[in-house]
Amino acid sequence: MSRVAIVGIGHSRFGRRTDVNVGELAFESIKEAVDDAGVDRKEIKNVVVGTMGSWYEELLPAVVVNEYAGLSGAGTMRVEAACASGSAALKAAYNSIVSGETDVALAVGVEKMTEVDSPTSVELIGRAGSYMWEFENFGMTFPAYYALYAVSHMNRYGTTEEDLARISVKAHRYGAMNPLAQFQKEITIEKVLGSPVVAWPLKLYDACPLTDGSAAVVLATEDVAKKLSDTPIWIKGVGYSSDTANLGRRSNYVGLEAAVRAAGRAYSMAKVSPGDIDVATAHDCFTIAELMAYEDLGFCRKGEGTKLLREGQTEIGGKIPVNVDGGLKAKGHPVGATGVSMAVEITKQLRGEAGRRQVPLRKGLGLVHNVGGTGHYAYVTILSRS
Amino acid sequence: MSEQPSLHSSRPLTLRFDIPISKTREFWDSLRDGKFVTTKCSECGNVTFPPQADCPRCMGSEFEWVDLGREATLVTFTSVQVAPASFAGSGPYMIGIGEFRGGVKVLARLEGIEPKKARPGAKLRIEARSEKGGNPYYVFVAC
Repeated sequence: MSRVAIVGIGHSRFGRRTDVNVGELAFESIKEAVDDAGVDRKEIKNVVVGTMGSWYEELLPAVVVNEYAGLSGAGTMRVEAACASGSAALKAAYNSIVSGETDVALAVGVEKMTEVDSPTSVELIGRAGSYMWEFENFGMTFPAYYALYAVSHMNRYGTTEEDLARISVKAHRYGAMNPLAQFQKEITIEKVLGSPVVAWPLKLYDACPLTDGSAAVVLATEDVAKKLSDTPIWIKGVGYSSDTANLGRRSNYVGLEAAVRAAGRAYSMAKVSPGDIDVATAHDCFTIAELMAYEDLGFCRKGEGTKLLREGQTEIGGKIPVNVDGGLKAKGHPVGATGVSMAVEITKQLRGEAGRRQVPLRKGLGLVHNVGGTGHYAYVTILSRS
Repeated sequence: MSEQPSLHSSRPLTLRFDIPISKTREFWDSLRDGKFVTTKCSECGNVTFPPQADCPRCMGSEFEWVDLGREATLVTFTSVQVAPASFAGSGPYMIGIGEFRGGVKVLARLEGIEPKKARPGAKLRIEARSEKGGNPYYVFVAC
């Protein structure tokens, strides 16, 4: 089984992108990734496009994106794992190389979420899960799902609204240092706590925005990677898992079991432990989600996420810096692009190319934690410099 | 950045789904009679909610209906302030997950309690509702 490396990365500016359609948006990151890899597009035999869709007009986004970027003819598919669609695309591209099917593959994540109005977006995301039993009669929303977890975590472990606000403040601090982020302004705890409630106890500033954006990575076999790149970043472990569609069937609401399982599988495949990780991106679609991720990923014990946070251990210079690209909260969350965007960020960090946001590297290991829905899907990917 | 020119698509699409319920029709009929029932696998005894005709534990397809009773305990909750488009105008509303004796958990609207006063562990009663021209549904009411 060949080792697989990331040899090219591309990332569009995230935000409300009324200047581009879905093909044009994907092109921005594809061109950058192909140029970065220095690969001939003819060598790319598989293009996997991660996107959830339905908030933009195209129903066959993979072929639209490929046509625009001159990639028609490659094997292709669109993959969906809700907000983890990007990691699912990465996994499918990775599989095509590990299986010996192709030497070079491209994973693209793209989402165009602002072509419909905001209430329609809220509707579409709220429907994701169990439509019949949790949406039709009740009107669940995405913030409401995570609010159920927040209330439970607060009740069980004494987590406070201030703790959650602290995560948002951290995200905005790093977002202000990321020129590709949707929000590049620092905020205060008071500003978070004073923002309007969307689903109690979560407020507007506990929530990621609706975002347009794309990201792309070129993957290659060991032989090809060594020819193309001086700094290939290796995919050492991929773990993925899922949970029930109905939240009523979950055993608890203080963590995401799919993420715990995905992390366990990724650590085991990579033969590393949580303490070995130098830098991580965690799926902070809501502040509570990042807090649960600390615990689900084993960066601390269950219920001790707030301690890690309050001590500043998840900031640059701490034990395990998390979301130093601004996270979904400040960088933005173009659903299908997010997992690929996270892989781009960790690759930059491991190459030592993250500029002002660079974390100190000890073991040269980084982790991508990407969750779909409310822990309906979970992917954990471990990347390594060696 | 500033808004850029766009072409408003002139072909809006309305989707209305006819969702089959024949295999779990008893649930909806019972709800109309004010009873809250679900499926229990005749082979392995697994009780599932939402009701389903085929057991996800043993894959058996023989089942019976069991009455879950009315009493449940609040596990967690939220108060939705920003509603989806199709719930526009229905104002802030609460949603809770209640646990019945035996461990079955159900998500539904939660009434009769203020968000600030609600606590996990609160006693709930489930009530069947149906509105003229609408589908039957159920809500938790705080005791």
